Amino acid sequence: MSKILLVEDDEIMPKIVARILPPSEYELDHVSNGKEAFEKLEATNYDYDLIITDIMMPYANGFEILSRVKSPDREKTIPVIIVSNAGNEDMIMEGFKLGADDFLKKPIIPAELLIRVKRLLMKNK
Amino acid sequence: MLDIQVPDFLEPVVNTFRYAPLAIQVAMVFIIIASLGTLLAYYSILRSRYRGYQRDKKLAFLHPKIDNLIIEEVLTNPTLLKDDVPVAHVQLNLEPFQELPLHKKWAREVLTERIIHFRRNVRGNMGELLRNLYLQLELDKDTMKKMRSGHWEKKVQALVEFTSMDMSIADVTILPLTNSRNRELRAAARHAYIKLSKNEPFKFFDVVTEPLLMWDQVELFRIITTTQNIAIPNFARWITYSANKSVVSFCLKLVVHYNQLPAVPAIVKLLETKDHYLRADAINCLGKLRVPDAEDKLIVMYSSQPLHCQIEILKAVGRISSGRHVDFLKQEFLHSTDFDLRKNAAKSLVKNEWTAKQVLEELLATANAENLRILKHCMNPLIKY
Repeated sequence: MSKILLVEDDEIMPKIVARILPPSEYELDHVSNGKEAFEKLEATNYDYDLIITDIMMPYANGFEILSRVKSPDREKTIPVIIVSNAGNEDMIMEGFKLGADDFLKKPIIPAELLIRVKRLLMKNK
Repeated sequence: MLDIQVPDFLEPVVNTFRYAPLAIQVAMVFIIIASLGTLLAYYSILRSRYRGYQRDKKLAFLHPKIDNLIIEEVLTNPTLLKDDVPVAHVQLNLEPFQELPLHKKWAREVLTERIIHFRRNVRGNMGELLRNLYLQLELDKDTMKKMRSGHWEKKVQALVEFTSMDMSIADVTILPLTNSRNRELRAAARHAYIKLSKNEPFKFFDVVTEPLLMWDQVELFRIITTTQNIAIPNFARWITYSANKSVVSFCLKLVVHYNQLPAVPAIVKLLETKDHYLRADAINCLGKLRVPDAEDKLIVMYSSQPLHCQIEILKAVGRISSGRHVDFLKQEFLHSTDFDLRKNAAKSLVKNEWTAKQVLEELLATANAENLRILKHCMNPLIKY
């Protein structure tokens, strides 16, 4: 079973993602801001197979999460998908520069998210 | 004199007031007004807080219920997995939604708001099914009522709902609103019109009577350039025919953004306009589009133009950078009496460096102190302006 961390401050998105990713195949943890994401990652020793994160969030944004997760000091790299409604070119480029593996603009197509999650998990195995 | 009956217990107070000096009387009146005002303010704050508390309580009860219903009936609807059933024809099970107090207007509003929130997060078949739910619960009737309301806030709310639900609105309803005197309503109507009008999303350019203010232009530019799936027309149409100068000026900016080279003949024709601000915009547009054919015409008209048009011509020659008018730029740099003209001529010379290298070296060697400083300023790649 793959462990996924969802970092999202919108209350509806986790409910949607939980429906898209079947619980029989994915263990989904949800935190609602960057600070909680760091705490969760530290507490689990970065034991996640994938991170799905928004960009604009309180305390620490998605880019800060990316820079920490994709830091060269880290032994294990966790693939990161950015899901955000801030879809201007600069932000997308910034995300990819920091090491994002994929970018999805809200509103998302559920089937697309599922395929991208599967593809990244397969690639990282 | 009006004789007012005063209750016995207030008699001493009234007597004190009556026989007090004028200054004291005025002060007492002010104190009473201030005290009443403060009490009224406290009362209204408490009342609005209580209403907010009541609303939050209702929402805390209703939101999870609505979310669960939407997830159960829409997001996990088995028809989403079938490819052969078009989503538009799916009849949803509305019975569970009858548990909600939908006979109350506020509950219907909360449900609409929640469906919109879901649609902002998902699209595709799920998004279409959410739209079906909105229609099958007849929430569009409430939106239509808001649209007919006399309050502009309600109209804006209705426009947002229609836009989020991708519902078409008749031109007769929405077009007059694109010209509204209320800024918020006008912006919402234009936004909705661009998003919802399938055939001619820019038709409201034809009916704009008032000038598009700078802020309107910024808002419109954002809406047009960020809205997906809209047919971008050739803006030359309005450049040629619109009587509204601000629309023409705005269309010139859009022409640059979409790099619409077929609009060039219309822009060249605009150089003959009597309005020199519009002419300056047209010159600016030709420069940004890098139209080398327009360069000769710009040089010919240069001497008869007002200062800001001349500056735009110099900038345009720099942007086009064909290298054919280096001598003209050199002459302007050396002999112009206006500092801005000299500076812009120098900048354009630098932009033509690929062919004006020798001229620049010669100028650097022979220039006086001021010209040297201008040239060095323009040659510094870290200085933009």
